[in-house]
Amino acid sequence: MKKSSIIVVTLLAVALIVSPSVWAKQKLIKIGINAPLTGDIPKVGEGTKYAAQMWLEDIKAAGGLEVGGKKYPVELVIEDNESKAESAVKANTKMITEDEVLAIVGPQASKQAVPAGDVANNYKTPMISPWSTNPDTTKNRPYVFRGCFLDPFQGPVLANFITKEFGFSKAAVLYDVASDYPKGLAEFFKQAWEKIHGPGSVVAFESFTTKDADFSSQLTKIIRSGAQVLFVPQYYNEVALIVQQAHELGWNKPIVGSDSWGSAETVKLCGKDCYGLFFSTHYAAAGATGATKAFIDRYKKKYGYVPDDVAALTWDSLRIVQQAIQSCGKITGNIEKDRLCVRDALAKIKEFDGITGKMTFTEDGDPIKCAVIVKISDKGEYEFYKSVCP
Amino acid sequence: MGFFLQNLINALQWGSFYALIALGYSMVYGVLMLFNFAHGDIFMVGAYIGFGIASGLLALTALGGIVLPSWLILVLTIIISMFLTSFVGMIVERVGYRPLRDAPRASAAITGLMIGIILETGNLALLGARRVRFPTLIQSTTYDIGGVFVTNKKIMIVVVSIALMFALHQFVRKSKWGMAMRAMAFDYVVVPLLGVPINTIARLTFAIGSALAAAAGILFGVAYPVLDPYMGIVFGWKAFVAAILGGRGSILGATLAGFLLGFIEIFVAMIFPSTLRDFIAYSIILLILTFRPHGFFGEPYSARLRL
Amino acid sequence: MAGSPLETTSSKGKLLAFFAQVPLLGWLFGALTAVLAEQFLGSQLVDLLGLPKIPVLFGCMIVLKKPLLVPGTLAYVLCIYLLPLAIVARMAAPWWNKIAGYLYRLSPSVAVIVHLVLMYAILHIWSGISAYRLLTVKLTMIAVMVTLSLNVINGYMGEFSCSHPGFLALGAYTASVFTLLFFANDKIFGTALLPASLGPFLFPLALILGGLVAALGALAIAVPSFRTRGDYLAIISLAFMFIVKSMIENLEIVGGPRGLSSQPNYVNLPTVFIWTVLCVWIINNFVRSTVGKALNAVRDDEMAADAMTVNTRRTKVVAFLFAAFWAGIAGGLFAHVLRYVNPSTFGIQKLAEVLAMVYFGGLNSVYGSVVGAVSLSMLSEALRPLELFKWIIIPLLLILVMIFRPTGLIAFTEFDVKGLIRPKGKE
Repeated sequence: MKKSSIIVVTLLAVALIVSPSVWAKQKLIKIGINAPLTGDIPKVGEGTKYAAQMWLEDIKAAGGLEVGGKKYPVELVIEDNESKAESAVKANTKMITEDEVLAIVGPQASKQAVPAGDVANNYKTPMISPWSTNPDTTKNRPYVFRGCFLDPFQGPVLANFITKEFGFSKAAVLYDVASDYPKGLAEFFKQAWEKIHGPGSVVAFESFTTKDADFSSQLTKIIRSGAQVLFVPQYYNEVALIVQQAHELGWNKPIVGSDSWGSAETVKLCGKDCYGLFFSTHYAAAGATGATKAFIDRYKKKYGYVPDDVAALTWDSLRIVQQAIQSCGKITGNIEKDRLCVRDALAKIKEFDGITGKMTFTEDGDPIKCAVIVKISDKGEYEFYKSVCP
Repeated sequence: MGFFLQNLINALQWGSFYALIALGYSMVYGVLMLFNFAHGDIFMVGAYIGFGIASGLLALTALGGIVLPSWLILVLTIIISMFLTSFVGMIVERVGYRPLRDAPRASAAITGLMIGIILETGNLALLGARRVRFPTLIQSTTYDIGGVFVTNKKIMIVVVSIALMFALHQFVRKSKWGMAMRAMAFDYVVVPLLGVPINTIARLTFAIGSALAAAAGILFGVAYPVLDPYMGIVFGWKAFVAAILGGRGSILGATLAGFLLGFIEIFVAMIFPSTLRDFIAYSIILLILTFRPHGFFGEPYSARLRL
Repeated sequence: MAGSPLETTSSKGKLLAFFAQVPLLGWLFGALTAVLAEQFLGSQLVDLLGLPKIPVLFGCMIVLKKPLLVPGTLAYVLCIYLLPLAIVARMAAPWWNKIAGYLYRLSPSVAVIVHLVLMYAILHIWSGISAYRLLTVKLTMIAVMVTLSLNVINGYMGEFSCSHPGFLALGAYTASVFTLLFFANDKIFGTALLPASLGPFLFPLALILGGLVAALGALAIAVPSFRTRGDYLAIISLAFMFIVKSMIENLEIVGGPRGLSSQPNYVNLPTVFIWTVLCVWIINNFVRSTVGKALNAVRDDEMAADAMTVNTRRTKVVAFLFAAFWAGIAGGLFAHVLRYVNPSTFGIQKLAEVLAMVYFGGLNSVYGSVVGAVSLSMLSEALRPLELFKWIIIPLLLILVMIFRPTGLIAFTEFDVKGLIRPKGKE
């Protein structure tokens, strides 16, 4: 017992001496990042993390974030949500109540962003989900925003593009029924297409389940249906498989995709099969200019590959948060007041000039921004083809 | 008719993966009465080892070190990866199963599950979050036979898998080791007393199962060239369904059940709206099991099970 | 809880023997002092020690993220938790024993209620410090319910069932649909049919309904799979899980893959606490009843049990439905804690999680399930800063436990409430 009491006393003494010097209480701006670093979509988490770290580098290089003439150090709190809803909720709660972050960027996928957005809204903490396309994420939640356009906009954009570009009237859709984003987009596309070409003009509406690798029976059905174009609102790993299998089964008509194709991995995994295909996205990497190009080059130099749309959107979301904090004018140190101020500033942002286009938030916290149609060139690069604005 | 034939060919390819993986499950299950829940992840490891070897051989060829035709590279990749992955299987057996041989069977299933998670996370930690593309070893050629599209890959995959299954069948039927395995499957308690080395047999069972999983992994890479660390999970669980559906320890049963699962999944998607695929496919399996609770070739066993 | 009965005679060390005389009541009062100390002195101590905030989960997160703060955190844990616990519990042990003895003689049920109230008070104060703790505590208690109900099948009955995520999903969706339909204005089900003020009172009904639907689902598995003995329950239940998930994905009326959100916020700490206590109590009574004993007999030797006039099939079906019922209730609570459900939550990942908790804690043991669920959920929160490596450390730990204690940490132990609350040591 004696020995242990000596240890206790020593520990206490050490603690008293060491700790305060490490943790000088100062005004610090904390930004939370809620990313899927493990689980189904680790690549998305990686892109988020890298973009956030690049942003932090910029801030550090400038000596901190300047608000109202004073520079504050910035800290990122990066939490893993394991690509699970409950984990995302826990991570958000932890960041808001424990780390006292000023704002949160993330989660990316809607299945985490919807419940996590509820938490952020309840605790009155501004949150931007860069990538979530589910309307519920921001609906009736004044504190929740998003960084990307919504499916109800993207669906018609693609339907109009295909109609004008190719003059087709029969389309087929292949999507993942178990995943929120592809399913939503597939339905909006179908709606828009049938509005133009009449009911029944989507001749095949086929689905599969997450993690499937064989799409032959669905593709066989699609080929037999006499469709002129195939719409595939899928993630890049599935795109590679679908396109290749379609070609092997004798499909030689165009295949069109959505913003989830917008990753350097699409072409890497898909190879020559994907050359010449079109998709809609937030920005075109090849032939980008200005800030967009600078971002892409820097990212590529640092991490060795062209950034995904997730990275670009995360970057933009962080920049928006930064602008909102700056336009707040001052950091009071009262976290509730500061959060409210950041939220109000976010809602007021007009024509934010991001690398994925100009954006202005609507009342629901959704941005109004343009979509870009990209063509995959014969060199495997994403070439700007056309811009479609709402 | 062409429509039907087309799907039949697709189902043959899809089913051969299930069958190859289910065989590994079924062997461990038959001989040791254990569920090897790490098997799906061994399949993943096999595919990644194959990816490494194929890329290495291709790089060597490109550098001009050796001149190899691509079919030879494929054959070499399959053989070397099967060999290497069998060691992975043996390690899994040594670490996760041997210490638990006398424990409740479900505990061993849990260690298997956990080893699987470690393999997945380890892969993620080692190779990063990117998915990899399996190198193209055979140029795909599509043959149009009266409206039915067949690729040379599909033929190759089905032929190789059936050849492997046949080889396994011969091994278990004809060889001394195979006989020892069948004996163990017949009676787990008495046979080791008669001088059959139980540790060797257990290791062999895991090694063969893992080698087959590796072959499945490479063929999978040839057909669906996108690999990711979590690709084995769903496959593993579905092959588990096939293995038990086939009947305890029956090689023929596991093969047939694997193909059947492939057929059901493909044909349900063909006939019904594809959104209902899993719902209908697994309802059919539930129905089959209601009427044949011991699977296709399993015998009702009265031997007392451990937990 | 910290008061597991320790063997005083063995060579487990003097320290253990030293503490073994403390009754559960003493430990609870110790813990109460600790949380009260944290409540009133926590923030001052934190300032003094130079920590950023009150450490949420005993400082694990701070320790893992900022190694320089380790001494401060250790000092905090020592001052706030360990010292009060040791002093109040041990030093006053004779008094606690007296009080415990008095309560016990008065009436064991009064004693149980006193213990429960104390336990709740501790949880309430402890989780009152931060919302994150509160959420963790709620989800942990739900994990206890799920684990316990699966233990009835996998431990007490000795079958290998994989359908628990399916039951959870059924319970979660049924309860959510009920509350959304009647008490919430929602875009799928339109305006509320009943006044929202009735909601909290009818919420138990929603949960029970969820449990019943889950039990109904269980019947679909039980009928084909209990005709014979074997491993077929494993795949039938697995197929069932796939079917439920696929079915919900196809039901547009409950949101399909998008899931259901904005369930009313009914589940506060007392609600979860009461349901968890109910669940532990009823399941404990169940497994100690004749049905429970029959279940054990069926597991150990079905033929012998049959010969001893146990209706084996009925016993198994009853136990299976019972377990599914509690899983359904846990699912309903889960949905209302997160206020969001979607089908992909209830997949293979969830299955692995629940199975791990059951086998980690220990088969055939109510203690084991509580310990397994609490320790794994706390661990997976505490190791959060490690990100990827968390998923190497936790499985490794489980493998080690399985190798050295193949049936789990605390297996085949009776949950003896009376023994638990009884005064310790010589009176």
